[in-house]
Amino acid sequence: MNETIVEAQSATLRYWDHGREVFACREVDLSVAPGEFLGILGPSGSGKSSLLYLLSGLKLPTSGEVRLNGQNFSQMHDEMRSSTRLNEFGFVFQQPYLLGYLSAAENVLVAQRGSIEEAYDLLDRLGVGEKAHRLPHELSGGERQRVCVARALIGTPKVVFADEPTASLDHTNGLAVVELLHQHRGGGSVVMVTHDRSMLQPADRVVIIEDGRIQFDAA
Amino acid sequence: MRELGKDWVQLGARVSRKRAVSRLHPLSPAVFLVRNLGKTIPLTLVIMLSVMLVAGVIALIDSIPYSIRTIYAYTKESLGVSPRGDSTHMPAILSTIREGTPVEIDRIITCRVSGSEVHSIVGKWPFVVLGLGQADMSYFLQHQGVTSVVGRYPRQGQPEAIVSAPVARNLGLHLGSILQGPENQDSYSQKNVIVVGIAQTTRWLMVDPIEYQRLYHFPPVDLAMVFAKNRADQPKLDAWAEKRFKGERAQLFTYAKIDEDTRNMFETLFKIIDIVIGLLVVVITLMMAMLINIYQGQRLVEFGLLQAIGYTKRRLVGRTLLENILVVIFGWIMGIFCALGLLIVVRALFIEPHAYALDVYDQGPYRYTIPIPLTIMLVACGTILLRFRRFDPVAVVERRIV
Repeated sequence: MNETIVEAQSATLRYWDHGREVFACREVDLSVAPGEFLGILGPSGSGKSSLLYLLSGLKLPTSGEVRLNGQNFSQMHDEMRSSTRLNEFGFVFQQPYLLGYLSAAENVLVAQRGSIEEAYDLLDRLGVGEKAHRLPHELSGGERQRVCVARALIGTPKVVFADEPTASLDHTNGLAVVELLHQHRGGGSVVMVTHDRSMLQPADRVVIIEDGRIQFDAA
Repeated sequence: MRELGKDWVQLGARVSRKRAVSRLHPLSPAVFLVRNLGKTIPLTLVIMLSVMLVAGVIALIDSIPYSIRTIYAYTKESLGVSPRGDSTHMPAILSTIREGTPVEIDRIITCRVSGSEVHSIVGKWPFVVLGLGQADMSYFLQHQGVTSVVGRYPRQGQPEAIVSAPVARNLGLHLGSILQGPENQDSYSQKNVIVVGIAQTTRWLMVDPIEYQRLYHFPPVDLAMVFAKNRADQPKLDAWAEKRFKGERAQLFTYAKIDEDTRNMFETLFKIIDIVIGLLVVVITLMMAMLINIYQGQRLVEFGLLQAIGYTKRRLVGRTLLENILVVIFGWIMGIFCALGLLIVVRALFIEPHAYALDVYDQGPYRYTIPIPLTIMLVACGTILLRFRRFDPVAVVERRIV
């Protein structure tokens, strides 16, 4: 796969914590190919989430570049970067964040990429179609994370970024959510961060990150 | 049977899906406001009650000068003239008026006055019983818009009076009641003056025969009322007379003067009220700012999530501002309607039975409430902009600030 959709070149993310300089990512070179399922594995505090935020444009590198289809995120206007995230990326976070006053189906539609029918179809495929009208507090943790997955997948985004999507779930539910991401991504790429190696069974490639540096990159 | 069961399941699914998605966009301000009544209602109530309070208080305070203007509205129809110091000047004064008047004069009535009182919202107010000749009496009452009389006119020289319906309601007078009498210190007369007629008009009037007043009331000074031929010219005649007799030995009674005196009388009170209302607006605004800030604080996850998945800060700020503007405008409109309703009830229960005056449709008190929504909107904008200024969505999705 020579073609890349998202690419980091010498991307470094540095910040100051109580007067101490901290490197969340150091000189990271990484690319994501279209349709690829990339797993980023690392212990807590290794910088894997920071790398995901860099790749998705949620944070900008302090040095180096991150490009989407060849376009440098750092040179994009803030609004343009937001619009890229909304239209071309899907997100699943550690916690199943949903808007409490919206039904499951409405929460999926918040992504603004698909129709009501698509939302129902995705919820059906993810096994929560019967609960489309329920509010988040009426769903279990696993069901809520499935709704978040549906929100990330609707409209078939180019890349779905998943930041420890199984962290708040038990092992079985966690595996189910990863499998759903894998099965229903519809040709889009998935970049998933986790500290649990067993969750990366469907991954095409896994990179291991430690102290903000990529230590291992293998298919 | 199996097919029928399947149909029911499909129908059930369709119904539940119909309920699953609102007709509006999930992030439209209306959806948020309707589905978060626990937040929307307190905000709306605070604005509504404050608007109702301000409009209500101002309308009731405004009713005091309005009552005075209503009580003395009969002076709109004529120019009252009294000599100062020496009653022998009266013919000369009237002669000056006849010769110098800028408008055509219809009639000059000679009258006497004796003191009486009426009740107002703020206690007793002085009023006069006009002593008129028989012919002048009907002319005067006709000019005051009297449509009919229950009972009859007072007889010449007799201790009898005719009062208008508002006066009768205000003082609880009926045919046969005593208007003035020797035992009434506020409305004294040597004989009991009996109400023999009640004139149907909105004006406040007390009239008795001039002959009776000449015999039993002090001081022995004849006054005059000058009527312009054309009623629209009366203010012009009044204004001319005010200017013409300035510094001379004539005292004039005009509606314009009563109006001006009333305004001056309440000027200080209104200034104090302005300060109180201003403070109230500040307190309400601070309270609202606090509430809005608390509610915004409870929505950090929502804002963080939406910004993280790609909603721009500008769009989120716009949406939140619109929600607050809708609440403020809705609260203000509700407050105006509630104030109107409250004033209508107050007027029916407390004002009308005593013939006090309260103009519930006067726009003044409602206009007074405009600073409330404006300042709240201003503060809401400031609070929301500050909240979003340094907001980092990553801090939310990383669970650093929630």
